[in-house]
Amino acid sequence: MEPIIKYQDVKKVYGEKTIVEHFNLSIEKGEFLTIIGSSGSGKTTILKMVNGLIIPDEGTVFVEGKDILKEDLIQLRRNIGYAIQGSVLFPNMTVEKNIAYVPNLLNDKKEKTNQAVQKWIRIAGLEEELLNRYPDELSGGQQQRVGIARALAASPEILLMDEPFGAVDEITRGELQREIKRIHEETNITILFVTHDINEAMTLGSKVLVMNAGAIDQYGTPEEIMSLPKTDFVRKLVANSRK
Amino acid sequence: MDLLKEMIDLIIGRKEFFLNLLWEHFYISFSSIVIASVIGITLGIVISEYRGSSKIILGVINFIYTIPSIALLGILIPFSGIGNVTAMIALSIYALLPMVRNTFTGITNVDERVIEAARGMGSTRFQILYKIKIPIALPVIMSGFRNMVTMTIALAGIASFIGAGGLGTAIYRGITTNNTAMTLTGSLMIAILALVVDGMLGFFEKMSGRRNRKKRKVRIILCGGMIALLIIGIAGNMIRSNQNSEKIVRIATKPVTEQYIIGEILKEIIEQDTDITVELTQGIGGGTSNIMPGMQSGEFDMYPEYTCTGWNLVLGHTGVYDESMYSKLRKEYEESYDFTWKGQMGFSNAYALAVSKEVAEKYGLKTCSDLQKVSGQLVFGAEYDFFERPDGYGKMCEIYGFTFKNVRDVDIGLKYQAVNEGKIDVMDVFTTDGQLSKAQVVILEDDKGYFSSAKEGIVIRREVLQKYPELETVFKKLENTVDNEAMAEMNYQVEEGKKDTKDVAHTFLLEKGLLKGAEE
Repeated sequence: MEPIIKYQDVKKVYGEKTIVEHFNLSIEKGEFLTIIGSSGSGKTTILKMVNGLIIPDEGTVFVEGKDILKEDLIQLRRNIGYAIQGSVLFPNMTVEKNIAYVPNLLNDKKEKTNQAVQKWIRIAGLEEELLNRYPDELSGGQQQRVGIARALAASPEILLMDEPFGAVDEITRGELQREIKRIHEETNITILFVTHDINEAMTLGSKVLVMNAGAIDQYGTPEEIMSLPKTDFVRKLVANSRK
Repeated sequence: MDLLKEMIDLIIGRKEFFLNLLWEHFYISFSSIVIASVIGITLGIVISEYRGSSKIILGVINFIYTIPSIALLGILIPFSGIGNVTAMIALSIYALLPMVRNTFTGITNVDERVIEAARGMGSTRFQILYKIKIPIALPVIMSGFRNMVTMTIALAGIASFIGAGGLGTAIYRGITTNNTAMTLTGSLMIAILALVVDGMLGFFEKMSGRRNRKKRKVRIILCGGMIALLIIGIAGNMIRSNQNSEKIVRIATKPVTEQYIIGEILKEIIEQDTDITVELTQGIGGGTSNIMPGMQSGEFDMYPEYTCTGWNLVLGHTGVYDESMYSKLRKEYEESYDFTWKGQMGFSNAYALAVSKEVAEKYGLKTCSDLQKVSGQLVFGAEYDFFERPDGYGKMCEIYGFTFKNVRDVDIGLKYQAVNEGKIDVMDVFTTDGQLSKAQVVILEDDKGYFSSAKEGIVIRREVLQKYPELETVFKKLENTVDNEAMAEMNYQVEEGKKDTKDVAHTFLLEKGLLKGAEE
């Protein structure tokens, strides 16, 4: 089967600093890939290359077999869910408008958009009475759920998440992790999930990508990584997770 | 308390006058606000999207903002003439800064992560702008807008300086005709207008705030209201300018009491004797220097002028003017400007020296030469202007050989009082000063002919005179109907008697038997 996302010899340089180089990776459809690594290891860079927020200096990124630079980036992004740290809702819009944002960009059919909103607040575990609230009237956990619902509202094939649960307390975090795992199982969506928490990476990922200094240290199932850490860096990470 | 009563009487008695000014004020400010908002917000958006240009644009706008308003009006007059258009341009220019700056600040302060989220979800640049950036920046833009509205309404008060309408007219007229109640009423009405509009904006802002769930309705009402106002404004102005289809002459006057009166006299008699409608623009700030450009561009057809001002200021001659040079003055006007002089009413508003009656009797003073002999015992007082001008104090002392005991700077409005109280003995006056008619002073004959003659006459574009020859007859009727004393008396009635210039003008025409009803 053709991989849904493929990086081919990708390189990205900021000024003097090389972020990633000779980066090659194929991600299968339906995978829940967690990306973990030290800060500055290039994990966010890799993520943002999928929806073209960051364009590689060399190499090619393929989404569903197509070189994304030869595609219409705006259309591509509308078909890829995107959730970032702290979820970052639009403060000027109600919960409903936030969730309906991408469906509204895609079509003008109110009926269809309404259905999508209804469906996703249910899946994201939100109460309907929140729809008319504004983001600053929600708790941190509720905001994250709205962020997830917003990212998924247009039923994308791919969901990109950049430390989405970075800003919530442990209990809420646990709930949200279970939620996203359930959503993954229900929808068979492909998820790329950046985190700096090894436990989160191990719990959620069907595959885990460990990055260090712009290169892949290890790529495998959580079990493989746990039992056969390839480098010192991975060993250290794994040791942390056992604490 | 007296002043308050005077103001109330004034408002009740001249309701129409003030309502008209209020409407004009509203119209001028509102138009400027609309123009400035459209241009300002657009510019603000452009420079926030293309940040490279922001430094230059903000720099330029900041610079313009620091130009004093009076100067800006002066700069604009050669380009856009005198009147409402120039006022609106100037007000719009000033109003730009708060709009551009707040729009720019509001948009550039939007959280970068929010913008990235929007971008990552597939918004186009334009969608990010109108769905995200502008709505989030709106409170900041709105606060700039409210600032700007209050500022524009207040600043519109100076528009009358260049002959535009509005409540500034009342202020300016009050100042130039010594009518404190009118000045205060005008200022107060501007303040109230600004407060009411700001209050309304605050109310609408609250109503359309995002916490208000009915905001859609409020927005519709707000937009509807704005559009309705705009239509009323445009329609109102069209009705006004429709009057242009008939025969019309435009008369300008300078900001001095007697010119206001002459303006009203001209209007009443021209409209009575001919089928011409007179559009009167009273009290143009800066007088001759701002009216002449308007005459040249055809915005004004005629205005009352003084011969020596024409000779020295307009034609640029130096030296003393006397009335034997009148035909030369006229000829030069016709050659240089294609304007001519008509209808001299007889009075001369020239400089002269006056002494208190007591002093005149004590020393037997009749002429300036008489004064020379006793000047060593007397105190001379004048407004600073007289000391500064080249044909003022210094030259005068040289010609007449005055050596005053003491010299004092006295405010022009307090000169007569100072003489009455004996603080000064000799002062400069204008020969038609309103207070002259009641003050206990004697004017000394200028026996050496030091002061230029300043006979009043009407400067008119010859083209207009050819088009409406019937004006000649009207001017003939007015010739030599007013001497210095009569003019001073009329000025007094306005400045001290608080009479309306229109009423004084009407009474004058009635007494001279120039009104048709009065002939029978």
